[in-house]
Amino acid sequence: MKGSIFAFLGGAFITLQGVANTRISEDIGTWQTATITQFTGFLASLLVIMFVRDKKWKRLKYVKPLYLTSGAFAAIIIFSNVASIKYIGVTLSISAILIAQLSLTFLIDGKGWFGMVKQKMRLPQFIGIAMMIIGVVILSF
Amino acid sequence: MILGLLFAVLAGALVSLQNIFNSKIDEHAGSWTTTTLVLCLGFVASFTIGFLFEGKQLFILQNMKPWYWFSGLIGVGVVTCIVQGIRLLGPTYAISIILTSQLGIALLWDTFGWLGIEKVPFTFQQLIGVLVIVAGILIFKISGEPKWTKIPSNGLKRVHAEK
Repeated sequence: MKGSIFAFLGGAFITLQGVANTRISEDIGTWQTATITQFTGFLASLLVIMFVRDKKWKRLKYVKPLYLTSGAFAAIIIFSNVASIKYIGVTLSISAILIAQLSLTFLIDGKGWFGMVKQKMRLPQFIGIAMMIIGVVILSF
Repeated sequence: MILGLLFAVLAGALVSLQNIFNSKIDEHAGSWTTTTLVLCLGFVASFTIGFLFEGKQLFILQNMKPWYWFSGLIGVGVVTCIVQGIRLLGPTYAISIILTSQLGIALLWDTFGWLGIEKVPFTFQQLIGVLVIVAGILIFKISGEPKWTKIPSNGLKRVHAEK
């Protein structure tokens, strides 16, 4: 039960974040929004690290440099997210984002890219993605 | 319409890559270090691109409202809730719930137009669309259970072994 509440709130926060960014960008611009929200989030998590005295950052040197760049994607993610919510609304944006996200994850797992353990592509995943696309088509018309 | 969908697909593809890369960082350095590094780079990248496109305009924050400064904290809530959810439920069920609630809240938001977002009137067709997508998510995630939890459970084992 506790886990479900966390998961539910996690999803709600993701949507809230997209909407808040869209709202803020109307007032101050999209890049300004991305810069400020990432900066305050960064400060907050830095405070937490200092508070819990997490020393694990020393192990960052064992991570392949390519993977360390993931944070930089956020700039383009936030920009695209805001742009798509403006054009097509929250529901349709989130739906299309989820499909692209699940499909690419599925492809990466299936091919074993980026050192992921290769997974066999199975029928239920194809059916699942097909149903999600049908759902988006229903939403769009 | 098409442009909006293309932006959404780009965002989704990058989120997927980001999640995979983040999990690789997390394996070694733990979730707080990962969160901090990711947000730090997100800030640097947004600042750089913004400055390239807009120059000094980037610093003009005329209509800034106080709560805008705090909205970045939502990101910390996202990470904390997702990490806890996955820890307590395992990735398959946690992610199914996360995706479903993301969509459910989105539908509510469009319907009520909270925070001054343009309202998209609620229709029966929209509800059906969302329900079909949720059914697709559940089929995708839950029928894949035996195979799809393999990586994360290995990851968890490794974390415990390190402790």
